Amino acid sequence: MSSDSYAPLKALIAGAGYTFVEPPIIHDANVFVELAGEDLRRRLFLTNGGDGKELALRPDYTIPVCLHYLATGAAKRRANYAYLGPVFRHRGDEKGEFLQAGVESIGRSERVAADADILNLAFAAAKVLGVARPTVRIGDSALFAAVLAALAVARPWRRRLARAFGDPKRLKALIVEADGNANPPAADDALAALADADRATVEGVVAELFAASGLGVIGGRTADEIADRFVEKAVLAQGIGERARDVLSEFLAIAGPPATAAAALSALARAAKLDIAAALDRFKKRNDAFAKRGIDVDRLVFAADFGRRLDYYTGFVFEFQRGKRSRGKPLIGGGRYDRLMALISGNQRKDAGETVPAIGFAVWLDRIGQRRR
Amino acid sequence: MSAPLTLAVPSKGRLQENAQTFFARAGLHVVPAGHERSYRGRIEGIAGVEVAYLSAPEIAREVGAGAVHLGVTGRDQVEETVTDWPAKVDLVAPLGFGRCEVVVAVPQPWVDVVTMADLDDVAADFRARHGRRLSVATKYITLTRRFFAGHGIADYRIVESLGATEGAPASGAADLIVDITTTGATLKANGLKTLADGVILKSEAYLVASRVAGWSVAQRKALTAIFTALSQAAARIKKSSS
Repeated sequence: MSSDSYAPLKALIAGAGYTFVEPPIIHDANVFVELAGEDLRRRLFLTNGGDGKELALRPDYTIPVCLHYLATGAAKRRANYAYLGPVFRHRGDEKGEFLQAGVESIGRSERVAADADILNLAFAAAKVLGVARPTVRIGDSALFAAVLAALAVARPWRRRLARAFGDPKRLKALIVEADGNANPPAADDALAALADADRATVEGVVAELFAASGLGVIGGRTADEIADRFVEKAVLAQGIGERARDVLSEFLAIAGPPATAAAALSALARAAKLDIAAALDRFKKRNDAFAKRGIDVDRLVFAADFGRRLDYYTGFVFEFQRGKRSRGKPLIGGGRYDRLMALISGNQRKDAGETVPAIGFAVWLDRIGQRRR
Repeated sequence: MSAPLTLAVPSKGRLQENAQTFFARAGLHVVPAGHERSYRGRIEGIAGVEVAYLSAPEIAREVGAGAVHLGVTGRDQVEETVTDWPAKVDLVAPLGFGRCEVVVAVPQPWVDVVTMADLDDVAADFRARHGRRLSVATKYITLTRRFFAGHGIADYRIVESLGATEGAPASGAADLIVDITTTGATLKANGLKTLADGVILKSEAYLVASRVAGWSVAQRKALTAIFTALSQAAARIKKSSS
């Protein structure tokens, strides 16, 4: 399909108030690797600049569009961007160069309304492209975070579990492991000497080891943080407790139409005495907002364990497929990524830097183009 | 004359000596073509075989690409260099030399890190504290990615190392390494320790054959001649040791 045949899609998106932008194709590879990690890097088309700097062809538009946003105006302003053009990824049996279209709605603080508008626009985009009755999965990592907080799961475990969210198999395995009966592997000599030591002793031993091993700590882990985590490991060894494991397993199994899921979530909160009212309320309000925009809410499929593993995604996510024909590959993927702007602006420390509300979706035009006409 | 079977043997170091001994024991004497420093050779007494002297990574790559029929190289090289290697390379037989392990090694002062699960925690925490990803120096990029992904570790990045990887943490070039070790002595001397579940691969030299090379009748005939000599030698050795 030539890009001209996407005129109706472009008209739809422009009509919804989005401005088309065309950020550069070539970027410093570091931007993508630091934000998305090694797992994305192996899919990047990499090359080198004349100065030896590693460069990458853009693997998607979201990060380049956010760079454009940050470079062209006041921080936290509202902006609606759209794009349609080639992106580049190594992806097995599919072509490495392919077209994506999409939108990014940045800086809009009415999150529920923004979530609903974006999903609504995704439905309209699917329709324009000839996908009349997609299968749409939705998820919300804020619910999972709320359950973890309400269960008062200890910090190191909370971080471990939150990191695995979006990978149901791994998450399940972690919950099994969190029974407090983990067999610690055989300790080396340094560790044996540290059993039952207090934090000050641990830090002293670590400092000695640094001196003895001839290793510097230039920009690396310090004796202080190593001692912190060593002490924290005692907490990890205790697991998260029977109740937390049961509640988490029950929570992650919740799936179905949003109304059914909301009822199940309420019932779980009541039975387990969990205070997740704020997150649950946002979930319900969002579903109401979908209905107000004419979305057939009962046809959406919520899954409590559905999320993205990229850590800049912070809440609502969704995915369009076309039944079995999609073979698990989404036609449209979208979600809220309030943490991305802070991470891009050179501040990767999660606790620092304010979030900028942002949500968008990307259409895999090459996958849609494969339909019979 | 039809194209010969190409046999690739290591061009330098211990691997070359061991490979040469291995073939010689079966009566297969590899001799350089022309002069002493040639990169091509042949096997005395077997027609239709061309010997190419290549580095171990090149041998893996060429066998995987089908440019070479038969070779001697490390299993680590095959798994690292050849995408989807089981479909392209047949590990015909382990040869009992070139044994090593590809391991994850961290600074000894990291007393809180014993397992890959610990490393996962540290990697995520490191990024939040230091504003950059934990860096791993290695020349085994594919193996590292596969192994780390298998342990769910995402918050790290690879710094490609082209030599003396074990020195990377001391020089500040990376936080930890993935590298080969035989006794662990070099790691220890550089202030590093391996993780309890950090063995990525136990490797040794293999006789490998290409599943994707063109195999003409003449080349198959040469292959049979080489295999016959090798298996007769193996039987002889077995007999004399029993």
